[in-house]
Amino acid sequence: MKRVIPVLVLIVTGLAILAGYFFPVELSQLNGLLINWGILLIGVAGLIGIGCLLRTHIVRVIHWQKGALLSVVVLVAFLITLGMGFLLSPQDSFFRNWVLNIQIPVETSLLALLAVTLLYGSLRIIRIRGWTLMSVSFLISALISLILNLQYLQPASGTAGYEWVEVIRRIPLAGLRGILIGVALGGLIVGLRILLVMDRPYEDK
Amino acid sequence: MTWNAIGWTIIGLAALLLLFFRLLFGRRGRYLVREQPAVHAFLEHRERAIERGEKCLISLGDRFWSRAYPALGLQSLSVTSKLASLGPGGLEEQFLATGSGELALFVRQILQGDYRDGYSMALNLVVPGPTPYAFMAGFLADLHLFNPGSVGLFGNYGTTGAVNMEAAEKKGAHSFAAAGSVSTQAALFLTTRDLLIGEEVYLLPGLFDELPENQATWISEDILRVLLIALLVIAAGLKMVGIL
Repeated sequence: MKRVIPVLVLIVTGLAILAGYFFPVELSQLNGLLINWGILLIGVAGLIGIGCLLRTHIVRVIHWQKGALLSVVVLVAFLITLGMGFLLSPQDSFFRNWVLNIQIPVETSLLALLAVTLLYGSLRIIRIRGWTLMSVSFLISALISLILNLQYLQPASGTAGYEWVEVIRRIPLAGLRGILIGVALGGLIVGLRILLVMDRPYEDK
Repeated sequence: MTWNAIGWTIIGLAALLLLFFRLLFGRRGRYLVREQPAVHAFLEHRERAIERGEKCLISLGDRFWSRAYPALGLQSLSVTSKLASLGPGGLEEQFLATGSGELALFVRQILQGDYRDGYSMALNLVVPGPTPYAFMAGFLADLHLFNPGSVGLFGNYGTTGAVNMEAAEKKGAHSFAAAGSVSTQAALFLTTRDLLIGEEVYLLPGLFDELPENQATWISEDILRVLLIALLVIAAGLKMVGIL
């Protein structure tokens, strides 16, 4: 019984949501209810995630493991933000400015780190992957795409050059669509495997 | 024929193929999937790292669900289940990281079930950060702390996943990724040694364990892909001659 009930709930819910995509009007109320329940559960799960995060850092501080100092910073920042949030409410303009003025510069610097990493990665791709067909074609196509998107090559509209540039611009889109079709099929099969109970990662053994 | 009817046809056909081949492979027959050297390399490095007493860091996504790639969260749960049941001797050395509460909840349940089977008390689940950037910052700190011998990236990520893998490579760990959107995979291609792209990502759980249901999945996916390619080519041909 412990195994049957979750499977039944899963199949009925999954099929109802799936049918909702094809019969949106008829099943709108049922799907709305199920989605609201889902959002509620995800909210609770979010709290559990934060609990896990805190637990990791508290354990690190109690046992004074490597990186405990960083954990102290995390815990103090968390407690101050939580306390201020309860005291002033998240809608308060001072609180929002205060949080965003820390969060945005930090995230922007991480974004800059990402840009540098990608640039550095593209420069040493041959060292990682060697002179393979894939790595060379990746580099060449990235270079061509970069040149075309920087608008250095702009033939006059209606000329053969213009048509060629447009064709070359569309080639990555064709590749992207090919990959997306594969991804969509993969996603469909993964979902069906769960619905058909062929894969039960959620099951307590 | 409406788009709804086409959708139902594809889903129905996929379900029928899955059931048919599941029954067929349960009794006889076998479908060999394409060789994936990247997966072999990951499993080999993971095993080697555990034998050397080094940590294995498995990252399961900075979020559970995304609109464009909804099945990636399920994929990372399947991977968790498979990795937890592989080689119970090294469970203490394996750390799993996730950035979302719901993923943490499911992973915890899977680990508890599997570890109980393997007589291990280890429940090495960490949540480095609850948002993509917080996850990235926390994951980089965890890489520094654990000094892992092998790092695997699964599930949903933005392009920030590429920074995590670059850092893992810099630490000397073997890096493997089967994750992310198309743009993430392009970014990961620059920084990750062994990488799965496109639909290969969804074949991964079965590559760890060639059960009949996994073989049914592979062959169903391949048949559907060939069918779709044929349909696209026919439609393009019909459009060229002006029928469509």
